[in-house]
Amino acid sequence: MHGQAAVAGIGESTYHERGRSPHSEFQLACIAIRRAVEDAGLELTDIDGFVSYLDQRNSPNRLARALGLRELRWTGTPWGGGGNSMAAAIQAADAAVSSGQARHVVVFRALAQGQFGRYGQAGGGYGGPGGSRMGGVFAFNGTYAILSPAHQCALHTARFMHDHAISQEALCEISLACYANAQRNPRALRYGKPLTRETYHASRWIVTPFHLYDCCPENDGAAAAVVTSSERARDLRHRPVAIIAATQGIGPPFGVFSQATLGSSHYRQVAKHLWDATGLGPKDIDVAQFYENFTGPVLMALCEMGFTSPDGVEEFVSNGALIGPDARFPFNTSGGNIAEAYIHGFEMINESVRQVRGDSTCQVENVEHALVVAGPGYAPGSAVVFGSPR
Amino acid sequence: MTRVLGDQWALPALDDLNRAFFTAGVLTLQRCLSCSHLQHPPEEVCESCQSFELGSFASAGRGRIESVAVVHHPIHPALAGNTPYAIVLVSVDDAPGILIAGNVRGTEPEAIEIGAEVRVVFESANDPDEGVALLIPQWELSK
Repeated sequence: MHGQAAVAGIGESTYHERGRSPHSEFQLACIAIRRAVEDAGLELTDIDGFVSYLDQRNSPNRLARALGLRELRWTGTPWGGGGNSMAAAIQAADAAVSSGQARHVVVFRALAQGQFGRYGQAGGGYGGPGGSRMGGVFAFNGTYAILSPAHQCALHTARFMHDHAISQEALCEISLACYANAQRNPRALRYGKPLTRETYHASRWIVTPFHLYDCCPENDGAAAAVVTSSERARDLRHRPVAIIAATQGIGPPFGVFSQATLGSSHYRQVAKHLWDATGLGPKDIDVAQFYENFTGPVLMALCEMGFTSPDGVEEFVSNGALIGPDARFPFNTSGGNIAEAYIHGFEMINESVRQVRGDSTCQVENVEHALVVAGPGYAPGSAVVFGSPR
Repeated sequence: MTRVLGDQWALPALDDLNRAFFTAGVLTLQRCLSCSHLQHPPEEVCESCQSFELGSFASAGRGRIESVAVVHHPIHPALAGNTPYAIVLVSVDDAPGILIAGNVRGTEPEAIEIGAEVRVVFESANDPDEGVALLIPQWELSK
């Protein structure tokens, strides 16, 4: 904790539209891991741990065998069915390395939604009478065709917008910023495909208040980062990027839908623990990546993390405030889930490492602290601050 | 009363925790027999006193819309003929703090607003496994 561990290397596969990857999901994982290890200046035989999240299918044993590891000392994955645990995966690697229980832990995310099912179609596969049924606790939502993360996030966003008189333009600004920043990033799937306000508003509704462009696409690809001690990282290829702190959290009420947390992204606990652990606050953050499976929850997360207030958030995101390296609030500088690639937010981990190193395609000047806020709506949420080793 | 999502849409699979909610014909929530705490969705343990002795509470089924969204994209082929449809979260007057998910009958989806007063109604279906009548709670705007 507190900068004892650092990211020494990052890597990713080429990103693909859903179903277009020439490689299997497992091969994509191997590509990203190999590149991250090479970027660090390490050998695959140096790796002794794997951490992932979101019910990762590619197991540590299978990876260790395929990649020729010498031994495996640490494996783990945070619970949770969404991108909420993306930064919690960094936290798990930080804990392993800082406590000396592993030396070089790879954190990664790989997905091939062409090869396997679609994450966005949560609970999919039921078929009506004669087919499968809405079972267990899912019956209380699925019977009413409240099925996907889009539906859940829409209900939270609709109440937030209602309570604070937030217009559709605020959501539009999040999408426009992601697309604009992706125009600088050749890795991005939306590179060369800018979005206009007119196209946004003309696009079809998925579920109100989300137009098509409020929803991230579904993609195939993999991304990985190597976590080691800040001390060891100093002797490696790149300037180390310290994990200042990563935290996860949720407080009562714990359910997905309750009156006390309706219109929330569930990030109040994460914010409290992150700022306590880092000794930092919103004013110390030079660049931020916010997980946008959908645009609306970003507005709530910006408020709950302490950057603005519900009554000020629309102004906070408007008039180009999020666009480019000189933005008033440098945000999703690689294009994020919406416009770089939906690798369940791991592309944001790699982008933050690039920002601290100084080699982003949308490089903010003099980055001391880079923040990543993971997926909203599902609990527990998580966040991480990267910076220079102290 | 036929289903607002169409009779092809998936039915709940009944179990000991959800059977009362989907068959009673009154809005049935879970109440702890030890401490009287109300909770929804039902659970095997009371979230207030951790008792395993849980009974039921018959709500009058009157409340208000706490949030609403209109689904236009059919996420499953069985919904294709029934979009757009409204999804809502409802609070009921006699169980503060609890939200109940549902759809709204008898009103155009776009006309449903946060704060609108609603009352429970029940849609009928036959459970293909147990052969019992399902009475699925839904909502209508109060006149």
